[in-house]
Amino acid sequence: MFGYVVRRLLQLIPTFFGATLLAFLVIQLAPGDFVTRLELDPTQDRESIANLRQQLGLDQPLPVQYAKWLSGILQGYLGLSLSYKTDVWNVIGQRILNSMVLVVLATLMIYLIAIPIGVYSAIRKYTWPDRTFTVLAFLGLAIPNFFFGLIMLFLAVWLSDLTDMRILPIGGMTNEFVHLGNMTRAAQLLFPPALLGTVVFAGLFWWRAQRGQAATFGIWVGLVLFGMSALLMLWPLLQGPGLPERLPYTESPLWARATNVLWHAFPVVVVVGTSGLAGLMRVMRGQMLDVLSQDYIRTARAKGLNERVVIYKHALRNAVIPFIAGIGGLLPGLIGGAGLVEVTMAWPGITPALLEAISAIDIYVIMGLITITTVLLMIGNVVSDLLLAWVDPRIRYS
Amino acid sequence: MKKLLVLGMLALAGLAMAQPKVFKGTEPGRAGGAYRITAISDPRTWNPFVARETSSTDIIALFLPYLTTYDPYTQAPEGRLAKSWEVRNNGLTVIFKLREGARWSDGQAIDADDVIFSATVHADQRVNSNSRSSFILDGQPIRWTKVDQFTVRADFPKPYAPALIQGWYIVPEHVFGPAYRAGVQQLQALWNLDTPPAQVVSGGPFKLDSYVKGERVVLVRNPNYWGVDERNNPVAYMERYTVQIVPDLNAQLARFLAGDADTFAAANADQVAQVLERIRGNRLRAEIFPNVDVTLGTNFIVFNWNHKDSFKENLFRQVKFRRAMAHLMDKKSMIEVALGGLGQAQWSPISIPNKAFFTDDVAKFEFNPQRALQLLAELGFRTKNRDGWLVNAQGKVLEFNLVTNQGNNVRERIAQIFRDEARKVGVKVEYRPIDFNELVRQLTSPAADGTRDFDAILIGLTGGIEPAFSRNVWELNGSLHAWNQGVGGKNPAKVEAFEVLIDTLMKRGATTLDQAQRRQIYVQFQKVVAENLPLIYTVAPAYNPARLTRLGGMFPKEQINSITGQAPYIETIFAKE
Repeated sequence: MFGYVVRRLLQLIPTFFGATLLAFLVIQLAPGDFVTRLELDPTQDRESIANLRQQLGLDQPLPVQYAKWLSGILQGYLGLSLSYKTDVWNVIGQRILNSMVLVVLATLMIYLIAIPIGVYSAIRKYTWPDRTFTVLAFLGLAIPNFFFGLIMLFLAVWLSDLTDMRILPIGGMTNEFVHLGNMTRAAQLLFPPALLGTVVFAGLFWWRAQRGQAATFGIWVGLVLFGMSALLMLWPLLQGPGLPERLPYTESPLWARATNVLWHAFPVVVVVGTSGLAGLMRVMRGQMLDVLSQDYIRTARAKGLNERVVIYKHALRNAVIPFIAGIGGLLPGLIGGAGLVEVTMAWPGITPALLEAISAIDIYVIMGLITITTVLLMIGNVVSDLLLAWVDPRIRYS
Repeated sequence: MKKLLVLGMLALAGLAMAQPKVFKGTEPGRAGGAYRITAISDPRTWNPFVARETSSTDIIALFLPYLTTYDPYTQAPEGRLAKSWEVRNNGLTVIFKLREGARWSDGQAIDADDVIFSATVHADQRVNSNSRSSFILDGQPIRWTKVDQFTVRADFPKPYAPALIQGWYIVPEHVFGPAYRAGVQQLQALWNLDTPPAQVVSGGPFKLDSYVKGERVVLVRNPNYWGVDERNNPVAYMERYTVQIVPDLNAQLARFLAGDADTFAAANADQVAQVLERIRGNRLRAEIFPNVDVTLGTNFIVFNWNHKDSFKENLFRQVKFRRAMAHLMDKKSMIEVALGGLGQAQWSPISIPNKAFFTDDVAKFEFNPQRALQLLAELGFRTKNRDGWLVNAQGKVLEFNLVTNQGNNVRERIAQIFRDEARKVGVKVEYRPIDFNELVRQLTSPAADGTRDFDAILIGLTGGIEPAFSRNVWELNGSLHAWNQGVGGKNPAKVEAFEVLIDTLMKRGATTLDQAQRRQIYVQFQKVVAENLPLIYTVAPAYNPARLTRLGGMFPKEQINSITGQAPYIETIFAKE
């Protein structure tokens, strides 16, 4: 096993060089460079354009440019952004973190909703609920995300007209001013029900535990959701009354900033999550159906096991194996951003920055992102393989 | 007696104190409030020597001063940091007097040292500032020298018409000086986006307050600003200036519709309709002015006069051919289809909003396929072949490729409309959108023998208010002399008489100081271009500004123009409520 891991890690080195060299060549093969845009500016003369090219090192031969970039990478330096004149990491670092908020939340949402629905659909296949989920899944897959994002924006405008309150945010990740007063009042209003919900689910949990039963999935979800909400509302409850009605975002306390970001993230996560949700739901259903038709399920039923045990212990555990193997694949996705939704909903993630870099041919920003993604993809693959060996006794590396 | 003395001393003190710039707003304003706009992309830097795109310079212009600019009411030169000026030596020397008492936000005086230092750095070839072209005239430097603490002098190698427009940004010498002396790299590293906003010194109406990447730039009023309104109250009126970064036009519209942005420029008829619908439904207190002006940018078709194929080269060099092509442009449909009904036909190179120089009295080869056919017949294309294409006596088909840059919907539609009309009469036009950078390469990089490999390109240039700044397009050795270039992009080998005339007019226009004479020169220039069509102009998109009614100090409808915008000065915009 150890030898296998070492071998895999060694294989990463040539892969890394190959991938980055290829990416570098592809970017350079496209016509034009960072300076080309300026050539159509009537106030620029040839001399200053040639000067600029020389200053940015764009006039040097490709191997030299690649070697320079590579020597930087080996020292952990991603290069200098041509348009921002600063370290590439300064350009993309914060944006990757911003995108991660979306990607993590959306992934959680997808897994938490898709797996139960998939299981449900598989157990009750061809019933009305299953058909409804199927139709919704196809709709979710069919609507392009960026378009759904626009619909969401107009929904937000419409809702704010209808109620005269800003129920959903109109794009963006934060507000210039955070309304601490509103947050405090909302917390005062919502804390009692959240606490009540937590108590109820905790009671259910305890009740089942007393009878020697594990808690159901629904109880877990309820407990976590209500519990987390109640916990989050503790801060505004305790601190809120002492604070001014509104403060600039940068001067607000952490809990207010987090709430503000989560509020902005909500519609975007819904948009990002839908298509993933729809896909995963269908895959889960198929997996589950596949497993349910296996001989060992028939055996389990034949020996008189409870249907719950058959489904959750025997079928589900086998059906989720491919998903566990896929966890490694999520790693590069974490920094890859949430796609065009970030542009349409003005989320300051990595996608708008990448698109800008591509259209300006800011090579080192593009290369920086590709490098990070490549490394994460390679690590992710190794992790996936190891996880697979861990959960599936049929697979052994030696 | 004592009273008189005190009064006298007060008067003296007043004289010595300050010479603020008076900003004449459209109505009396009041202090306070916030101005919120949207921008399509993040700034790249706060450093004016590094900045190359409007997303950066639009913000830099709010906190760095410049000597002069255009008067928003008359478009004549107007002093900003320069209080007054004097032209000497037949225009070879201009002496600018600076405002005494003007201060940076850190309390230091803005004086001649700052101005001369900034000029030196902008002109430095190693720095490669975007304003460098303001310091070179036909290859010779424009020299800036200090006369005294509040006087600077510019010496021009030859008389230069736009000499009074000095819009390059002035930086505090006490901040940039040490870095510049340490090296260009250090200078360029200053004031990048990771610099704490408090360290960015302001000499303009606003001052950086905070920047959240990808989200917003917030500026606050600069209390040390050297501007006042007509009643001697300090400006800017607005307490805060927020630029929200919204990379999608529809999302920008949503912000405006929700009342989160104060101004918006509708890009097409659909957006205009959405704003109007909301205003009429009483859900947004705003005004919109559809088609109140057209934008400064121009779109035109250019034919390649340096073609490898001598048949095509000769064809494209025929003025009759180019006029025929102009007759095939259905500008009405272009406005209807490509611009959504909002826009104007353009016939000559100077942008329509540029009232100081624009003339409508030029030759117009309007949409007329019959006339086009006649002209083509005169060139020998009298019959059609079996496929319906026009051919000449040798059986050569009249055909060419037309390309434009991919992703520009307006240009793509204009090109398609032109292609469809041309094909109807038998001109075989093949239209294809291509990558922008590839298009620039084809246009600006001739091969070693001076030929270029395109037939026709539909492209646009950003327009400006000063025609002399487009000399690179019109002078014979200009880098953007798009239709006819020589080896290495220098003087073309074969030149038509009218090109020489344009070249002369442009050179004369740039060196004539008298405004009336200049207008005459540029009117003639427009006539020559419209007559000979080296570039065939198409249509100009409309400028459809909108704003919330909470804003005061804005232009009434008649005064709105796409050069100045919706208000004369940012300093005198105020919040009514």
